[in-house]
Amino acid sequence: MYFSCRPDADAKGQYVSYSAYVDLDRQHLFKVRAVAEEPILPLGGTGTFDEFGVYPVSVIRTDEEVRAYYAGWTRCVSVPFNTAIGCAVSRDGGRRFERLGPGPILPYSPDEPFVMSGPKVRRFGGTWYLFYIAGSAWKRVEGRAEPVYRIRMATSPDGLTWTKANRDLIPPRIEADEAQASPDVFEAGGRYHMYFCYRYSTGFRSRERGYRIGYAWSTDLVSWTRDDARCGIDVSEEGWDAQMISYPHVFTVDGRTYLAYLGNEVGRGGFGLAALDGAFD
Amino acid sequence: MRWTKLGLVFDLRAHPLPFGSGGFAQSPQALVLDDRVRIFFSTRSREPDGLYLSHVAFVDMRKDLSAVLGVAHRPVIAAGDLGTFDEHGIFPMNVLRHDGVVYGYTTGWSRRVSVPVETGIGLAVSRDEGLSFERHGAGPVLSATLNEPFLVADGFVRVIDGLFHMWYIFGTAWSAAGAGAAPERVYKIGHATSADGIAWTKEEGRRIVADRLGPEEAQALPCVFDSGTRRHMLFCYREPVGFRTDPGRGYRIGHAWSDDLVDWTRDDAVLPLAGTPGEWDADMQCYPHVFTCEGTTYLLYNGNAFGRFGFGAARLDP
Repeated sequence: MYFSCRPDADAKGQYVSYSAYVDLDRQHLFKVRAVAEEPILPLGGTGTFDEFGVYPVSVIRTDEEVRAYYAGWTRCVSVPFNTAIGCAVSRDGGRRFERLGPGPILPYSPDEPFVMSGPKVRRFGGTWYLFYIAGSAWKRVEGRAEPVYRIRMATSPDGLTWTKANRDLIPPRIEADEAQASPDVFEAGGRYHMYFCYRYSTGFRSRERGYRIGYAWSTDLVSWTRDDARCGIDVSEEGWDAQMISYPHVFTVDGRTYLAYLGNEVGRGGFGLAALDGAFD
Repeated sequence: MRWTKLGLVFDLRAHPLPFGSGGFAQSPQALVLDDRVRIFFSTRSREPDGLYLSHVAFVDMRKDLSAVLGVAHRPVIAAGDLGTFDEHGIFPMNVLRHDGVVYGYTTGWSRRVSVPVETGIGLAVSRDEGLSFERHGAGPVLSATLNEPFLVADGFVRVIDGLFHMWYIFGTAWSAAGAGAAPERVYKIGHATSADGIAWTKEEGRRIVADRLGPEEAQALPCVFDSGTRRHMLFCYREPVGFRTDPGRGYRIGHAWSDDLVDWTRDDAVLPLAGTPGEWDADMQCYPHVFTCEGTTYLLYNGNAFGRFGFGAARLDP
């Protein structure tokens, strides 16, 4: 299980993020077998898009390799940061990765001007799909600049050269500037299912306005029907995931389907799991 | 190729702009109108924090560049929104007539923390002969990619046989910041093509013009024109450090030629355009732009101090 983590903040209170992994026992997912001894990828060089962070990361197997798509973080002056999506490859089963190049794999464009992040890479049929978010505006919120972003998609024959769909896949539900993140897509029961998270654009550090997990389905990966009521999970009454639930990732192991997600304070203490009851319909 | 110098044809001290800080007319680029030549350039304002911000303006000149007819009363394109690639200025802008409108390929600047800036190339469109431009989207049409990791800038666009060609520069290195000194950048000339001028395919890291000063040479502002049966490219080049203050390390104008738009042969000696001692271009020559008007080919360029006082011109001898 890949995840992202942060050393303590520097003297100015700023963080850098790294990505790492934990090996879980395949029969008992709550039994930790090992953790990464070092980040899977060092930070980028001076002036590059991932100089100050590699977070989050999504991996996929190819013939001989494991490929990682990740968001790289840089620091800006008028807004706190910008992000772009990079790609790295591992030839040792996913322990260490090397960048395909020093720049991003998916460029900014007229309709996706900044804050491209949260990549999830998938292959359906012979086509590669990258689900991600792209910023549409920076808003001043309570004295801070906060990005508004939406879920987008690109397709590729090889995972390297991408064609953007150039449209928002999921309409906002709770407010016009709703933030959406972590679009995780899988196929089951003849349909495509997307889990993602969403929150209000302001006051989102509170329980009421913080991240929740949303759901949408599609038959063609292009047109999506949002139906959050069917996501099947909400915050708990109390405990590690009572304040918020976010950054969903769905995976299947030995016939069982699991949802990995973050809880309070966007994963400060770790991540949790839920198991699917029954089948997807 | 012989050029006759026409001198400092636009002197800001004689024709001050009604906005900005009163300094800089950088990277002049021409749009030929029926009765005049509209020459766009970037001028600067000074921010409260002391930093410069570049705006695109223009001067209208007689078609033989012999007189100034007027200057822009305001920037032709508004400042970019919070967090956008061109929030902290546009420098330069290349203009191109296409399909009844004017395309402006802008280089947008935004400030960074570990290095001074990042740049990208945007598209803005004018429907009033260049008096005003509107952005085609908030983001760039050309920006950093896998093997062109930062500082994509200085787009120059031509349509040749129905295909859009862009020559531009991309960064190859930011030096580590020294004690009390900001990191310095190295950039090289690249090439991309497009069917519509909006969606571009890069050659992705291919450096199309050979270095003359070694691998640290910085190459900037390519422009391509035809002369005889060949394509010619002018650009400027400099040493990576010391270029602001040491005339021996500052910008000079370089030259390359091609017969196929793929392979370029560098041959700076083709262009004998040295600075004139004691004159406005004695220490530096930079930001070349070639255009043709009523059968005559002109070169616009900046001189000392990157164009602080205006721009000059030269005329290609027949």
